[in-house]
Amino acid sequence: MAGETKTKRFIYPTQGVCPPEIHFKVNNGSLEEIRFVGGGCPGNAQLVARLLEGKPLTEALEYLVGIDCRNGTSCPDQLAAAVTSAKNGSLMPAESFRVHADVFDRCRVGLISAIEGNHVILEKLIQHMQASEIEACYCLGNLTGESDQNKDLIQKIRKHKIFAIQGANDWCYAQGQENKYLPPLEQKDRDWLLQLPQVLRFQMKQKKGIVFFGDYLQRLPDYSDFEPFALEMNMVCGLTNFMQDETVFPALEAMIPQFQADIIIFSQLKKWGHWHISGKDFISLGPASDANGVSWGQLEVADEKIEFKVMHAEYKGG
Amino acid sequence: MAESVKVLPQDIQEIIEVHEWDMRTREGVQRFRELKAKSLPSVALDSDLVYESLIPMQQELIDEILRRYKEKNQNE
Repeated sequence: MAGETKTKRFIYPTQGVCPPEIHFKVNNGSLEEIRFVGGGCPGNAQLVARLLEGKPLTEALEYLVGIDCRNGTSCPDQLAAAVTSAKNGSLMPAESFRVHADVFDRCRVGLISAIEGNHVILEKLIQHMQASEIEACYCLGNLTGESDQNKDLIQKIRKHKIFAIQGANDWCYAQGQENKYLPPLEQKDRDWLLQLPQVLRFQMKQKKGIVFFGDYLQRLPDYSDFEPFALEMNMVCGLTNFMQDETVFPALEAMIPQFQADIIIFSQLKKWGHWHISGKDFISLGPASDANGVSWGQLEVADEKIEFKVMHAEYKGG
Repeated sequence: MAESVKVLPQDIQEIIEVHEWDMRTREGVQRFRELKAKSLPSVALDSDLVYESLIPMQQELIDEILRRYKEKNQNE
């Protein structure tokens, strides 16, 4: 893929030490962004990360080996094991979910979900959005569905340069694991779906946002509860059942201070909803079309506040 | 929460098994929902949700642990 870096991300499950995982990157043979996650002494861990930042793997190992703390090992010892495993290929790079970024600071964006292969509906939505002077369109999954137009839908998304993320159907197609109700798809379209991110992050003035489909991400190989934005996903999907269980909102409020994102958008339930809790905005997207017409979400920032509106247009065909 | 358990007297520590669930994790969230808890922090004793939204005073916690311990051993 053009522009792809040589940096590989690793997640090492530790044994015998306080942090359950060590995350690190290897960039052209050097260590970067070491994180001991989930426990342990954060101060010392940060110091280790700073001192080893940019060090070639072989040089880093000289500092790490032979340090004992408890259980016959230590955090540096576990990092040594992790680095050695990455070097010899026994630890594979982690890519549980891919995060892409909309790098522009936005004032108004349009949100579509559950288009499910209907490229005619997509065209109607784009026309309606253009009339509202949307700066960017984010299309959540499922992009594909039980439709013989999946290929046309994909072409349309690519043509309009829409920011698209994988839904559960799209991921299944990409892996060659779609269920029997989904029609066949050509390999080149599967490959395109494979390269889609699962999460999109964006910026609206001082607010950071993330967009994702739903809980299939939690079942991806190597999914870590401590990855960026995993906490937001765990809280939305697991704790609150996509914000449907308000009885646990007190617990959600207790966890919100640890969030990285300020705006959390998801689409699995195909139900419209907006909750403002402890300074964060949670938005659930409904389907792109129903018997009465087409719908999309308009998200904008005004006076440092997030405003969300569901926009409708009549449409009987498609 | 774990700290308030660690400072319990040794004789209490010997009759309890402590599990701390991290709410950042899927496992922690699942356990939270199994206990039907609604807020944090929450303390369960023998899978009964006993304290919610608060960390009990040490003596209160000791008394409750001992009460349950005696009840269990009387019934055995």
